[in-house]
Amino acid sequence: MSDHQFLLELLCEEIPAAALAGAAAQLADGIETRLGEEGIGEVRRAFVGYTSRRLAVVFTGLPERQPDRAVEVQGPPVKAAFAADGSPTAAALGFARGQGVAVDALRVVDGPKGQVVAATRTVPGEAMEAVLARTVEAVVPALRFPKAMRWGAGEYTFVRPLHRVVALFGAQRLETVVPLTLFGVAAGSTTLGHRVAHPGPVELLGAAGVEDYVQRLAAAGVVVDPAERHAVLQEKAAALAAEVGCAVRRDEALVGEHVDLLEYPGLVRGQIPTAAMALPEEVLVTTLRHHQKCLVLERDGRVAPYFLAVMDRASDPKGLVREGNEWVVGARLQDAAFFFSQDRRRPLADHARRLDRVQFHQKLGSYADKAVAVQALARWLGAGLADDDEITTAAALARADLVTGMVGEFPELQGVMGGLYARLEGYPEAVWRAVYDHYRPAGLEGDLPQGTLGAVVGAADRLDTLAALFAVGEVPTGSKDPFALRRAALAVVRLCAEMPLRIDLRAAIGRAVAGRAACAAGGEAEVAAQLAEFVRERERFYLVTKVGVAGEVADAVLEARWGVVSDDVSRAQALEAVRGEEVFASLAVAFKRVRNILAKADRGAGDEGLLIEPAEKALFEVLQTVEATEASAVAAGEYAAGLRALAAVAAPLDRFFVEVMVMCEDAALRQARLALLARLERVFLSLADLSRLGGAAT
Amino acid sequence: MDLQEVILALTRFWGERHCVVQQPYDVEVGAGTMHPETFLRVLGPEPYQVVYVQPSRRPADARFGENPFRFGKHLQLQVILKPSPPEVQELYLDSLRALGIDPADHDVRFEEDNWESPTLGAWGVGWQVLLDGMEITQFTYFQQAGGIDLKPIAAELTYGLERIAMFLQRQHDGFAMRWGGGVTYGQVRHQEEVEMSRYAFQVAGVEMLRRHFEDWEGEARRCLQQEEPLVVPALEAALKMSHLFNLLDARGAISVTERVGLIARVRRQAVACAKAYLAQRERLGWPLQGEAAP
Repeated sequence: MSDHQFLLELLCEEIPAAALAGAAAQLADGIETRLGEEGIGEVRRAFVGYTSRRLAVVFTGLPERQPDRAVEVQGPPVKAAFAADGSPTAAALGFARGQGVAVDALRVVDGPKGQVVAATRTVPGEAMEAVLARTVEAVVPALRFPKAMRWGAGEYTFVRPLHRVVALFGAQRLETVVPLTLFGVAAGSTTLGHRVAHPGPVELLGAAGVEDYVQRLAAAGVVVDPAERHAVLQEKAAALAAEVGCAVRRDEALVGEHVDLLEYPGLVRGQIPTAAMALPEEVLVTTLRHHQKCLVLERDGRVAPYFLAVMDRASDPKGLVREGNEWVVGARLQDAAFFFSQDRRRPLADHARRLDRVQFHQKLGSYADKAVAVQALARWLGAGLADDDEITTAAALARADLVTGMVGEFPELQGVMGGLYARLEGYPEAVWRAVYDHYRPAGLEGDLPQGTLGAVVGAADRLDTLAALFAVGEVPTGSKDPFALRRAALAVVRLCAEMPLRIDLRAAIGRAVAGRAACAAGGEAEVAAQLAEFVRERERFYLVTKVGVAGEVADAVLEARWGVVSDDVSRAQALEAVRGEEVFASLAVAFKRVRNILAKADRGAGDEGLLIEPAEKALFEVLQTVEATEASAVAAGEYAAGLRALAAVAAPLDRFFVEVMVMCEDAALRQARLALLARLERVFLSLADLSRLGGAAT
Repeated sequence: MDLQEVILALTRFWGERHCVVQQPYDVEVGAGTMHPETFLRVLGPEPYQVVYVQPSRRPADARFGENPFRFGKHLQLQVILKPSPPEVQELYLDSLRALGIDPADHDVRFEEDNWESPTLGAWGVGWQVLLDGMEITQFTYFQQAGGIDLKPIAAELTYGLERIAMFLQRQHDGFAMRWGGGVTYGQVRHQEEVEMSRYAFQVAGVEMLRRHFEDWEGEARRCLQQEEPLVVPALEAALKMSHLFNLLDARGAISVTERVGLIARVRRQAVACAKAYLAQRERLGWPLQGEAAP
């Protein structure tokens, strides 16, 4: 009868929040797998829970006793087990005896090294307590954590010191302690309640199952189900906000983190000192959220003068928790205000002048040098896209906040602070926004800048970083990318694709490398080629990951031509849409053949007037039509139509290959045929290298 | 509660729990961990419990006495419990009660915060302890010091004394915090903060600091090359190097690339000291082992 259940709770010192959920899942998975290996399948995971101090799992559907199992044991090879006349040898007899089976019962099976004899032995089931004990003793020490530690005598390694183990087994009620020991701690039936709300022992012996376990802990001030803590936090937060006519600014990540930092979900509302409300909203939010992990309240979309602090307890009867948090928040904001007012003593342009003291890279000079390079590149990139004076100013100020006190204290406000200071100093909106925004996007995710100027300065800054670091040989390899160059390149690709910033990346890379030519030890052209390949690889990643086209589609598109990213994206989307159509499969094969022939041949001028075979004349006719149709489709940006136009070449091209021998003896005729194919290749490559499709790329 | 009442209460609390009440180390250090009573004592099998206040110098954190939360020198109260006892968290909470902070009325949290000192070749795993949102203690299980795996493991508790006193006094201005003896923190230390800031940021002689860094490196090496290595003098020399590095850093004289190299040079001496200390204690027959305090 599979009506038994098993409860395991590990009580530790506070486990890092980031490791909790994964540890609980590993624990449940490990036990389930291991029980399966013990012949106990079909168990039910009735509960997987955790708090900052405990991991808990409950399994139901367990048998009272482990069933007997038939185990196949492999013995000696057939050759050694049987004599020539087929009679069993001493080896076979010994093996059978050892397994407690008759020698007739031996079977022949395939072993890893050929045929062997095997016996099926019945292993009698054991008491479930014994099975569970060895299961847990094997699974828990094997749990993996981002960082493990030792403690006390230093004999054991686990995520944090383990204090208690509750391991209970039973039918309706969990009545037996499973005799196991983990890290020198013997399992028992009592756990501890909440550290301050209910510091005493909590008896779990005789608990009726999951609900009873959860309730007994709740009575001891512990909400062991993370989903419930999450729900309670959100409910309480909404209620506390509503009391003062505010709403909670949505912050799933922060609430989620708090859920894993608690045993009991509580919240207290505090007030922000009036003086601090004069600080820019970004500074308020950074202080509250990033430094104090507080939830931000808002009223009419603006930050309200309150915060919610999460606490690991139900209530704050003496008001000390609120008072303490208000004091800390007040202190933090006062500290921020100090740096803010210090920074404002001099204009942003003055800060920018001090960038010469901040080293960008040992071989590449200071951030002041960088600002000069970025400025030149931004003006070139932004010609016709943004106002030249504004580009010049924004590029000069972009990194100025690196030397401000605020960014020294709050590095996550890079860009934002410079933007805020520029706004307060009365720079035009486009300029301060560009300074504010030029770090965006952070990578594959994250918001884009709000204006073109920010995108121009941001792209210039990153292209210069890439060019400069490639020039001095700081090229990412494998997992090593200390300057986050992959992310920088990806951000440039996104700016080009999504703003969209219509620039030719290849030309821009050349320009950026030229701006750093003095540092390019390996030669300017080599550096530019290496960087172009690197950026192209990022663009491919972007097409596959973000645009969602197949890898071969990205290859086909980029192989044809690349660099104007928004155009590359359109071509990729068009190809992705049409590539399923049957004709493209045969076109891919035929086009691959075209490319192979051309790759091996001398390309020279050829006179198409010399073509003589009907098949090649027909192809020439069709090609001329397709050329025109396709050219107008490409000009109009209608890439799917352009691709479909190519389909008309499929049949005549197949016929051409059947009937015409390209590499014929007559040199002039051969040149004419090659010229025809080269012309066809040009037409195709204005859209995509179809030879990359259908695995035809090899 | 005055600052000195905090010091007295915590010192008495731990003193009554088998800790040696030690005194601050009389060499400039950046943290209580550098005191030989921590850095050396955590090595090897011998048990040890100690409490002391350590003025800790962080020249780059100085703010000319203008920022009421930032000091170039602050006071840490350091406790080492080796091996870490099973009830160490409860002991710690009791120490808060000694400060009049009853955890039953507050929100006390242990949030993951691991510690690493590249100059000492040391790292540990632990938490920052938050009291009502305020970080008041760094709680670390030492795993390695001087590049050597530790066994047994020591628990290190580092109380930030100024913060605790400011918090208890609900005082936002560190310099207005009551020190005791009828004076404020500012009356005792403000001028020192102003002068030490000016020194660290504007006046300190870079050439001299660099020269002395080299000198003390040689001295550390020489101490350890003695037939019977001089462990404490060598460690003092390494601590001097560390402080000189901090001054050079505050002075803005160290480039990003040079930094790694200088830190490695300090670490090399610290690691050599740790090895020499272990050898010395072994030679002496681990004098403190097996002599459990009564």
